[in-house]
Amino acid sequence: MTEVSIEVRLKAPDPAAMTALSTLKRINPDTCPGRLERYDYWRFIRPLDGKRTVEEIVLHFHDIVNPNKQSWSFSGGSGILLSGDEELVWAEVLVTDKVDSISENWTDILRRNKYEIEKVMYSVLWRLGYSSGTSMAEARERTLALTITSYRDHGLLANPVSQNINLLDQA
Amino acid sequence: MTNKPLVAVLQFPGSNCEYETASVVRESGMDAMIFRWNQLKELSDSRPDAFILPGGFSFQDRVRAGAVGAKEEIMDLVFNEALSGKPVLGICNGAQILVESGLVPGWENGRIESALAANHIHGRSGYLSRWVFLRANERALKISPWLRMIGNDPIPVPIAHAEGRFVFAEKDNNRISECMALTYCDENGIETADYPVNPNGSFMNLAGIMNREGNVLAMMPHPERAFWMWQIPPWIPGTWGDRRNSLQHDPALAGSKGPGALFFRSLADYFELISREDQ
Repeated sequence: MTEVSIEVRLKAPDPAAMTALSTLKRINPDTCPGRLERYDYWRFIRPLDGKRTVEEIVLHFHDIVNPNKQSWSFSGGSGILLSGDEELVWAEVLVTDKVDSISENWTDILRRNKYEIEKVMYSVLWRLGYSSGTSMAEARERTLALTITSYRDHGLLANPVSQNINLLDQA
Repeated sequence: MTNKPLVAVLQFPGSNCEYETASVVRESGMDAMIFRWNQLKELSDSRPDAFILPGGFSFQDRVRAGAVGAKEEIMDLVFNEALSGKPVLGICNGAQILVESGLVPGWENGRIESALAANHIHGRSGYLSRWVFLRANERALKISPWLRMIGNDPIPVPIAHAEGRFVFAEKDNNRISECMALTYCDENGIETADYPVNPNGSFMNLAGIMNREGNVLAMMPHPERAFWMWQIPPWIPGTWGDRRNSLQHDPALAGSKGPGALFFRSLADYFELISREDQ
């Protein structure tokens, strides 16, 4: 397996997501989603034993997942973290620092601890849920506009000068 | 009522330097009032002559440092006052808010053209708290109301931040000199791109940038924490360290002003000049 991804979220409501949603409601009321979720998104590139290695890492390093306050799942897996709200149309966007110390430091830490892995990449995954009448194309378009901070009153979730923005193919 | 210029110090949820900032403004001969982020009417009615966005962690740095504060309604007022020419200073988290507001570098008003990214330099990343040296750009010395008395000597000022690395889109590299205000250097004024002289990997060793007119300054170091000479550590090298050490056992140390005072004296001097011109 070349890449294993995990999603990590707070067990309690995420204050960053709540603040982001209330800010978006104020600056972009017409295009704002009904729900906004935030996840730490970790990509493990070429782990020796695939998911088994990643699970070992996650259970060992509580800085990646603190089991007292966070839950996690493999990305694209059983979806235990998904809200399960069938009424919403979800679009997902990944925000990654162009120069990223977190990823570099974790790659070093894991290698020092003898984990056979090429590298680790850290991003923030934002999941935006729109009302059921919204088409997927529209949801994706709105998500991109709300993510890219181009002007003071346009966009919030990423600063394109220092961050890469990737709209994911499917929610 | 006084005729002193009024400087508004804005307090966002999570600001933590507003009281000392207001204090050093008053020590510099101006009036200072602290306004909470939701006191828009009070701020507007007070008609301040200048604005300072102090350091801290506005909105707990949620989403991105300064990103949420920049969208607050109170920043509409600051934005318009800045465009009218009033002096605006952002210190540390205040600088992050100004960058996220599009007030600096301000090549196109309100457009986000730079970022204060996470510290990243060979051998170092994460939160940094240390003393650094700064020098002011020549054009900035002439046009910025915050820098007119800084002079050419390198000045020691502390930094304390995790996201202080100025970055720009590559297409803008040829016009960054327009916005250069403060750069990191050593005690002799020599710039290098290596730690610890450049503590965070900032592009072109930038510690502070300004808008084209120079009235808006966003700087990562904390001048209010170097306002008094006794705040300067005795081991600091260079002329400021010598001055500090010469006062080590002198009662005058208690009342002597440090290098950070120059930023606030510059503003007071700017207002005096305007006042003289008006008469």
